[in-house]
Amino acid sequence: MRARRVQPIHIPKEVNLPRSQRSVGSRRLFASIALLPLLALAACNSSPSNTPTTSSAIKIGILSDCQGDFGSFYNDDLGGALAVLAAHYGGKATGAKPSDGMTGAKIGGKDIQIVGFGCSDSTANKAIEETRRLVEQLGADILIGPLSGDEGIAVANYAKTQPNKTFLNGISGAQDATLKVQAPNFFRFNPDGAQWSSGLGDYAYNKLGWRTAAVIGDDYAFPYTSLAGFIAEFCSIGGSIPNSNRIWPPLGTTDYSSFVTQIPKNIDGLFVGVGGAGLITFLKQYIQLRGALNTKHIMGNTFWPDPQLLKAIGTPMVGAVAASGIAGDASFPQTQAYKQELAIYPATQADAASVFTLGYWSAMTALGQALTSVNGDLSNGQKALQTALASTVVQGPYGKISLDSNRQAVFDNWIVQITPPPSGSNVPGIKTILRVPKVDQTFGGFFSPTTPAPSRTDPTCTKKTPPPWVGNETPVDFSAGNVQY
Amino acid sequence: MSVAAPPSTPLIDSIRSRRIRITQLVAVGALVLFLAGAPSVVDSFTLAQILTKALWLGIAAASLIFLSSYGGMISLGQTGIYAVAGFTMANLVHAAGGKHLGWDPLAATAVGIVVATAFGLLCGAIAARSYGIYFLMITLAISVIVFYFFAQVTVLSGYGGIRSVTMPAVIGNPITDPIPLYYTALLASVLVYVGIRYLARTPFGLALQGIRDDPARMQALGYNVPLHRALAFGVGAFIASIAGILSVWYTTQISPGGINVAQTINILVIAVIGGLYRLEGAWIGAIVFSTIDNYSRVWMPNVGDWLGPDRFETVIGVIFLVIVLASPGGLVGIWEGLWGRRRRRRSPEESSGIPTKGAVDDAVDHPAAV
Repeated sequence: MRARRVQPIHIPKEVNLPRSQRSVGSRRLFASIALLPLLALAACNSSPSNTPTTSSAIKIGILSDCQGDFGSFYNDDLGGALAVLAAHYGGKATGAKPSDGMTGAKIGGKDIQIVGFGCSDSTANKAIEETRRLVEQLGADILIGPLSGDEGIAVANYAKTQPNKTFLNGISGAQDATLKVQAPNFFRFNPDGAQWSSGLGDYAYNKLGWRTAAVIGDDYAFPYTSLAGFIAEFCSIGGSIPNSNRIWPPLGTTDYSSFVTQIPKNIDGLFVGVGGAGLITFLKQYIQLRGALNTKHIMGNTFWPDPQLLKAIGTPMVGAVAASGIAGDASFPQTQAYKQELAIYPATQADAASVFTLGYWSAMTALGQALTSVNGDLSNGQKALQTALASTVVQGPYGKISLDSNRQAVFDNWIVQITPPPSGSNVPGIKTILRVPKVDQTFGGFFSPTTPAPSRTDPTCTKKTPPPWVGNETPVDFSAGNVQY
Repeated sequence: MSVAAPPSTPLIDSIRSRRIRITQLVAVGALVLFLAGAPSVVDSFTLAQILTKALWLGIAAASLIFLSSYGGMISLGQTGIYAVAGFTMANLVHAAGGKHLGWDPLAATAVGIVVATAFGLLCGAIAARSYGIYFLMITLAISVIVFYFFAQVTVLSGYGGIRSVTMPAVIGNPITDPIPLYYTALLASVLVYVGIRYLARTPFGLALQGIRDDPARMQALGYNVPLHRALAFGVGAFIASIAGILSVWYTTQISPGGINVAQTINILVIAVIGGLYRLEGAWIGAIVFSTIDNYSRVWMPNVGDWLGPDRFETVIGVIFLVIVLASPGGLVGIWEGLWGRRRRRRSPEESSGIPTKGAVDDAVDHPAAV
């Protein structure tokens, strides 16, 4: 006889007993089941959704990520939006942190009520649940958010089911959210991932003389889109990036050596779209396997001008160029004003250069301007507000932001170069060298609602009419102090 | 089975049983009335985000409770299995992402359930010879493998998942009109509940409970224990796959972010909160879970950096701990305990005559001792 392998668990299981011998517990259980939904019902009926909305206050919900990959930026996101209310519309912070709330703001004579903060976790599921909580349960008229790409597509799709509410994107950057979904009440005052890479294809082809390039990026939507911006521009001018030169390490890779060895050697340059903590590891391993970085043959996307990265890799990066929506050394009056506005939340102000803060700030700024112009009128399915938003121009800290016919931001992108460390430091600096004017989402027609979404193999590399900014980038030097806004 | 009947007179017996039957009828009637009429009493937000969500989460938890209470198998693989059903369905129909093959949604649903059940049988065959912590680890591995498979095989999903999944005509658009999906989920829950209760009384179910209590003895009696456990795992997979399909219908999309290890733990938490050994616990746990998930973001006060609306995991974790420590039988266990105490206080002759609940269980656990 084999030894018993497992100790049996003591489990109530009267189902084994003949019916007459079963205890009554199971029957009474029915009573408990019946009571629970009734209790839930009582809870629901006391929820704010059932209270009549007699006040004329404008109700705003703000959706961001408090959990997941981007959860640590939660207060930077909320702070960017709320600081606008405090700076221009009389809002008073309820506590030291943005998530403590804000009261007292008025726009166009109407009270602004922040009904709640959505707390998602960078998944589309949670973003939709939180959006519905803010819109359907807490009765938000206007939603600002969400933060990340997949969430943005989900919320834009949801916006179509709520045509009488208005949605302003937070900082999510997936191309599809505006280009394909095209919800008439979804407005995005920040660029998508591809727009952030604009200008680099031209720079690589015409300034650095690249003809054949390779790209490497994490295997998910944002790097697909970010690299698509480079591929579209570089290929439209005449460059070549065959599918075999596109390398996609899985998100969360910790050892990039096998991916570095996959990068072909007979190429003119490499465009790097690896993000976050992985980028430091990637560059270190790249240097170990391929020797010192030749900054004429490697460039990066919006993740490169990052202080932590510059500190970790240091001087080997000097001379490399990257593209970014943020010109770190910009000295416009608007740049100063933006930093001043954030002063109400010192922790957020310290992160003023964060794209997250900027995205939420832009959305609330646009909303404030549009609401002012319509005197807070939300009647008739908010049509007046939505029309006003479509033509709103935000005076952003790094340039004007307007919307195209798809309600997607058109903005000026910046090419930045990494400079030698100032004396007494070993952390390289950033210098903005080129302005890429009026970058639109379609890249002059390369992307359209019918082109496949950016993926491992899309867009295909084809020569076309280049985007309108190619050849029209203007050199800038902020240290000279004469850059036109 | 020599468990003694209570030594009470036939009159007391009949009065007591009639009272119980009336209580039972009223309770079930109230429950049926509430569930059937819910769409006209609660707003559409509550209907979708609390009730419908609780129904499909309840089915997922029921598949775990079925395995644990009747088979003694605590599986962490249910999330992986329901993901297979959901992703299969989503890949077969028109959608943004995935294969978007354009099948009829109902046919895709059927294939999704069949594929997930087959996958469950395969997993069952692998895990059936393991017990306890080893079984737990193998089933956890199943969920993790499924997560990474769909996250990294971009032709089938990728991290972005599959969006705008085509719904069957009977469901329509669950976001604008949640009522059809609610009734579908309700019907599925009732069928799952009745089905499991029925299955537990069949020779298959009774043998499964025998295997749970003493696999060696069942083997000696001539039962093929691993096969029996593998088949039971397949039944659990079938139930989980229904939850997987409903989850896709509920959100109209599926992505690896919704089937990660956190979700695996959520299903276990739901089952434990409700009561790991009572089938009803699945839905009770699910409604508590979805209520807290939703309302903790409204109710929760800010206490420094320690507590706040973003601390749902902390809240549910504390509840989980309290339940595990105070009542291993979950909320159902607490309820049963309260009723049992009151019953004993009201009729002292019972406590002397009738074996206590625990004694009955012991008697069933160790029939030889009785």
